Amino acid sequence: MKKMLPESELARDERFVRTNIEDRIFDPRGPRIAQRDTGPARMGVDRPAAGERSRSLMHGIFVGEIQALEGAGRTCYDFDDEAAPFQLKLDMARQCWDESRHCEISVKLGDHMGTEIGEYTESTFLFAAACNPDPVLRLCGVNRALEGLAIDVFNSMKNFGNESGDPILEFCEDWMLADEVTHVKMGSDWLRRLTATDPERRERALEFQRTVDAIFNLGGFRGEDDENPIQLARDFRRLAGFTDDENDSLAALARESTEQAREMAEAATAALQTSAQGS
Amino acid sequence: MTETSKPRAPFTPWDRRELPGLFAVDESARRVGNYKWAEMRLFEVLGGWVATIPELDVKLVLGRHTYHHAWHSELWHKRLPELREMNPERLTVPPNDAFVTFMDAIREPEAPELTIEKLVGVYRVLIPRFIAAYTYHLNGTSTITDAPTIRSLKFALQDEFDDWRDGEMLLQALIDTPEKVERAGRRQVELEKLYLASGGIAGAGTLGEPVEEVRVS
Repeated sequence: MKKMLPESELARDERFVRTNIEDRIFDPRGPRIAQRDTGPARMGVDRPAAGERSRSLMHGIFVGEIQALEGAGRTCYDFDDEAAPFQLKLDMARQCWDESRHCEISVKLGDHMGTEIGEYTESTFLFAAACNPDPVLRLCGVNRALEGLAIDVFNSMKNFGNESGDPILEFCEDWMLADEVTHVKMGSDWLRRLTATDPERRERALEFQRTVDAIFNLGGFRGEDDENPIQLARDFRRLAGFTDDENDSLAALARESTEQAREMAEAATAALQTSAQGS
Repeated sequence: MTETSKPRAPFTPWDRRELPGLFAVDESARRVGNYKWAEMRLFEVLGGWVATIPELDVKLVLGRHTYHHAWHSELWHKRLPELREMNPERLTVPPNDAFVTFMDAIREPEAPELTIEKLVGVYRVLIPRFIAAYTYHLNGTSTITDAPTIRSLKFALQDEFDDWRDGEMLLQALIDTPEKVERAGRRQVELEKLYLASGGIAGAGTLGEPVEEVRVS
């Protein structure tokens, strides 16, 4: 079997429907949806279509967990013992088990919430971050950026479970949240250990992490304002080893992304109106 | 009041452990190093395969088993210095080149249509041989002097039995036509011949013959 599997070769059964990030951003329905006044984007039980949004997010979590499992598995395989120390591979193998459980939990939660596998699309840019040929960059992209995002997502979903009176959702998200804190700590530890004598490599890894963070902030998905569906979980992030400076800069990045998304939506809306007047 | 000065036997009457065992320290360490090497190659490929397998149930089971074999390799890694091998990497080796060829063949399938070939290699060929090699070591080594290895062997064996059952049940669910029975059979024969040529996970003598019994005078 070859090393370094491209994301296009991820194996799925016929239920899964794959889309790419451009499809989502340039979905022609987006500007029309943006015109609707649906109130704050932050996940809340009183928000219109809260149930639908939470089911969609749960499906997103499920496919994200599959890709996280696949990414950790590939890190066990893609590197020789020189590039990736034995202990790092042990951590990745442990993560495989954790992500495998998260897939199982997510499937059961999907059933519980009334959705099914394949009801929503899958985009594979999470796995793309796990394809970096440098194990340090890969760990920074996956274990710090993406697993950090998972902390935010699970915390938001846990709160949603609490607010909506769904103890099963709250219970499961809390357990997954505990694992994600561990995964981020692994990423932070390995970043420190593998770049202890190579500051340039460390900076490259952190830059890659910022890039991945920026992609996942796209459209203001995550932040600290009511406009962000997913809220930054500062306390859990601190527990996982993120510094306050890192959390501050992530919040700033999120505000920037939200602003860009707003500008894009306004431009698209204006274009729609112009087009409607012309026809 | 308990009588504290009355002598008692060092072993309880039901403790039937005996000296000696089949293996000297060096031989036990050599085997443990071979086990670690094989478990490492196994957990790596299980992890690598997860992304190439479309069957969701198989994908998730392999994710779990990846950790089991990683943990076994960690148990052996920790045991090596206790067996006087202060550089565990020195003994983390395959027993011979033929065993490398065998493991390369186990790890070779990649395409998503080859789930049966992947599972047959692991669950019908390799894991039954782990069970055999570990059981031989467990039954042959000194129950007193090599007790820490025995404890690890028992943990590992419990996983191997459970994982073998998981894998065999997945295979029985996937093999649903006579053609697939033949595919699975061909793959098993091909791999068993390679395994035979290697002599086993710990080389010739994995299950006994060339090892001389160690006696305590």
